[in-house]
Amino acid sequence: MERAPVRAPLIKNLEFKVGLLLTLTLLVIVLFILYTLYARGAFERARELILVAPNAEGVSVGMPLSFSGFPIGQVARMALTENGEVRIVVEVKEKDARWLRTSSVFTLEKGFIGGAKIRAFTTNLKDPQLPDRAERKLLTGDATEEIPVLIAKVKAILENVQGMTAPDSSINQSLDHVRTVTERMTGEYGVMEGVLGGPDKAQRLVTALDRANSLLTTLNGVSLKVDSVLAKTDQRVFGTDGTLARVDQSIAGVNAILGDVRDSLKKADAILANAQQATANVTAITADVKGATADLATLRTEVDDSIRKVNHLINEINKKWPFARDVEIKLP
Amino acid sequence: MPFLASLLTRRGAATLNWLRGWNGLTRFGAGAVVEALTPSFYNSATRSVVQKQIYFTAWQILPGYGLFAALLSFVIIQIVVSKARDFGLSDYALEMTMRVLVLELLPLITALFVALRSGAAINTEVALMNINNEIKALREAGVDPMRFEFVPRVIGGMISVVSLISFSSIVALVLAYLVVYGWQLSGFADFTRVIAKVFVPLAMFGLILKALAFGLAVTVIPISAGLNAPQKLFFAPISVLQGMVRLFFVLMIIEVASLALQYI
Repeated sequence: MERAPVRAPLIKNLEFKVGLLLTLTLLVIVLFILYTLYARGAFERARELILVAPNAEGVSVGMPLSFSGFPIGQVARMALTENGEVRIVVEVKEKDARWLRTSSVFTLEKGFIGGAKIRAFTTNLKDPQLPDRAERKLLTGDATEEIPVLIAKVKAILENVQGMTAPDSSINQSLDHVRTVTERMTGEYGVMEGVLGGPDKAQRLVTALDRANSLLTTLNGVSLKVDSVLAKTDQRVFGTDGTLARVDQSIAGVNAILGDVRDSLKKADAILANAQQATANVTAITADVKGATADLATLRTEVDDSIRKVNHLINEINKKWPFARDVEIKLP
Repeated sequence: MPFLASLLTRRGAATLNWLRGWNGLTRFGAGAVVEALTPSFYNSATRSVVQKQIYFTAWQILPGYGLFAALLSFVIIQIVVSKARDFGLSDYALEMTMRVLVLELLPLITALFVALRSGAAINTEVALMNINNEIKALREAGVDPMRFEFVPRVIGGMISVVSLISFSSIVALVLAYLVVYGWQLSGFADFTRVIAKVFVPLAMFGLILKALAFGLAVTVIPISAGLNAPQKLFFAPISVLQGMVRLFFVLMIIEVASLALQYI
């Protein structure tokens, strides 16, 4: 015979209370399990989106895919491909799939603090929807990735700065030189002393400048004189009694002389014709040799005379033509 | 060297005793589980004991414990959320509170609470029954004490612990939602996403398994400790002490094991 081991303590509605507690517990557990299943998208059709990334650091299963800051999907699983890339399978609920279009871009962002984020960007919502199991590249923008490069660059810059500020650096030397120059500049001759390197050299420059000044004054006088000479020359050459007028006259004289010369030459021609005749008739020649030679002597005197006249005329012209002479302006 | 010999003897005896205790505990626990899984075990008498155990362990303390759990959860959620906001990590605040409270802290605290309240009582009762030869008497009267005294308590204790953990966890989740999103429904989608992230199948399975293990430990260890006590009255407090220390140790082992399974 069995008997209850616990001696019936009087508890009101014991069975009801325990039943209620059990029912409620079961209800809570079942509802919660259903809720987690719903949360994991068990009751909803989902599309799969495959993102291919070179590196999946920071990506974990269950990580959200956010669009405009709203989670529209989550990483379901990840695997390495044959060529070392990562295939991230993202489940996107059917009702959220409209945010993803064929032109959408997916990025993986990693900040200094906190986990990575997968984001979707869709600029044109009129493009066709992304099909199920579409494969897209996951662009990674990692702020921390650039830090080592940045540090290396900064290091190089700092080394340069260190080299610049060292006591024997070229900048310091340049500054020393600048100081020397500016110190000189404070001397009697100012900037000139600084540039030329000493007061004596500056002194020389000043002297040279003074001399150049006086030279310029003299040159001024000279150019005035040259001016007056030129005016006089002008008058003499181109004036009514000027050289040119006289040249004109001389040329007329020359013409006349040339006429004389032509006459003389004609005569010479005739003489030569006679001479030809004479050679043709040797006997006549021999007869007339005396007369011919007398004639030749006259001709020669006449030719000589003509040439002398021309010579004289040319001398005359030369004298009157001012520029033919060697005009030399002697500066004082 | 009589000192060393006696020391070694005493140590050896203590170790053997300790091992005997664990051995008895394991055998008792395995037997209780086998009994609980046998359908013929359940009849009106055992059901009555189970009901009473649930009544005393869960129903009686539910309001007080619920209030305590709510207060503790609220304080921890507030701290986590505000600190996370300070550090600019508010995206992770909700996940953090769920992991800390629902998955780890509340089950452990519930188990400790039940262990202190009911575990100690069961241990004392069984130890006294043992000392007073009541168990022997029951057995002689043809009543299997295992079947009518101990296993119903184990089952009741397990159900109580699971029930208390479920309610306190739901309270913590509702509070977390209210603290993070306030009295509005707009955060539901976000909340659902975090739930999906935290309560993955492995975590759910681990949580249920952990709750059951806590419930088992909280009743099995005190009963076993009471049964193993020598039949002398002054051994009763020692039995309770040993049982409680062992219980605490086992609870911590279960917690560490569940943490290691999920995060390592």
